[in-house]
Amino acid sequence: MKKSEVRSQKSGGIPKNQRFFGAEDSGTVHEKLKGFRGWQASIVVCILLLTAYCLLPSTASAHRVNVYAYAEDGKVFVEGYFVDGTKAMNSLVEVFDAGTGQKLLEGKTNKEGLFSFRIPRLTALRLVLTASMGHKNDYIISREEVAEALGQSGVNSQEAEVRSQTGLAESSKQRTGQNDEVAAERVVVSSKEIEQVVTKVLDRKLQSIKNILLKMQQEASRPGMTEIIGGIGYIMGIMGIVLYFKSRRNT
Amino acid sequence: MHISEGILSTPVLTAGAALAMGGVALGLKRMDYEKIPEVAVLSSAFFVASLIHVPLGPTSVHLVLNGLVGVLLGWMAFPSILVALALQALLFQFGGFTVLGVNTFNMAAPAVASYYLFNLLVRRGNRAVTAVAAFLSGALGVGGGAFLIALSLVTTGEEFLSVARLVFLAHLPVMLIEGIITSFCVLFLKKVKPEILEVGM
Repeated sequence: MKKSEVRSQKSGGIPKNQRFFGAEDSGTVHEKLKGFRGWQASIVVCILLLTAYCLLPSTASAHRVNVYAYAEDGKVFVEGYFVDGTKAMNSLVEVFDAGTGQKLLEGKTNKEGLFSFRIPRLTALRLVLTASMGHKNDYIISREEVAEALGQSGVNSQEAEVRSQTGLAESSKQRTGQNDEVAAERVVVSSKEIEQVVTKVLDRKLQSIKNILLKMQQEASRPGMTEIIGGIGYIMGIMGIVLYFKSRRNT
Repeated sequence: MHISEGILSTPVLTAGAALAMGGVALGLKRMDYEKIPEVAVLSSAFFVASLIHVPLGPTSVHLVLNGLVGVLLGWMAFPSILVALALQALLFQFGGFTVLGVNTFNMAAPAVASYYLFNLLVRRGNRAVTAVAAFLSGALGVGGGAFLIALSLVTTGEEFLSVARLVFLAHLPVMLIEGIITSFCVLFLKKVKPEILEVGM
């Protein structure tokens, strides 16, 4: 629509003898200086491309690969996706010890771009995902998160404390009678049960938040209008600078 | 079509940077006063093109436009593409600054090849010849770029033939689309402003 409008406008403004293909392919310097109709045309192309970018549903394809990962239940779940949200299938994931840089294990993502593994040791992990054709990125899981997933801190350590206390109580009360022992055992079991229930509920509630976070991260990684317009602005600015210096040299 | 940071070895990065610098120097030397705005506009077009995804079957592909830049600019494609890639690295985190040289060379070298092979045909030929030559320069831009990327990745220890095949197959549809778009652009430009196809070499 836009293109055809501009075309008719342009061809209307051009002398007839120039409309034939191949006729007077150069044009004199005078004609060149008459106006940058040519690069105006390229601006139109540029605007068309920009419009196309806004209109077309950008489903996929590579460019920058992102990694997102979280630790849970002694396992780490890794997800690889490209800028537009396509999953990075069948990509190599390497797991390094973030402190020492030692490689711990490696594997490949499945069709959903997912990969999971048991946490090999309590340390911060660096996950490096290499997709095909020279795309690569990494993600670091902190030591705290790993510890949490391994059940060695926070709620779990409290629970262990409770258990050891009840254990002590158990041993001290062992002599007094079997009823007490049973009671102590019940305390242990119930605290474990509570923990399991809480974890389950929290998992369910946190899952949606995790999904939102993932989505936000994906959206943030997609180039926005500001960057695009900004980039074009930079190019125009550079053009201005070059023109300025060239014109000074000419005069 | 970018190679990310941290994949290539230092010798490859250095070689790429050196080659790109040579190309940029040649391009700047040939840049006339009148050509500067055109270089800038094509640079913008290249900058935006990577963001345009064309749906194609189950996946989609994005444009590159280095063939178009090359056939219109010749050696000036080097500075033009360098600026666009630098801004893409800065604003979109595509590629990166250490790989800028390699990426510039990989994209701009086929562009210059397009110029030498097809610019004359595009200028002198009739409508049909122009269309075909422009199509081929668009396809060569992407195909040549894919080839050079595969070549750069070989040094990382990946087997050349398998990488080359993968990159090439992935870009076959892009070559087709790119060819068509280049063809349309060149025909349009030839109609409204034929002297834009002249490159003072």
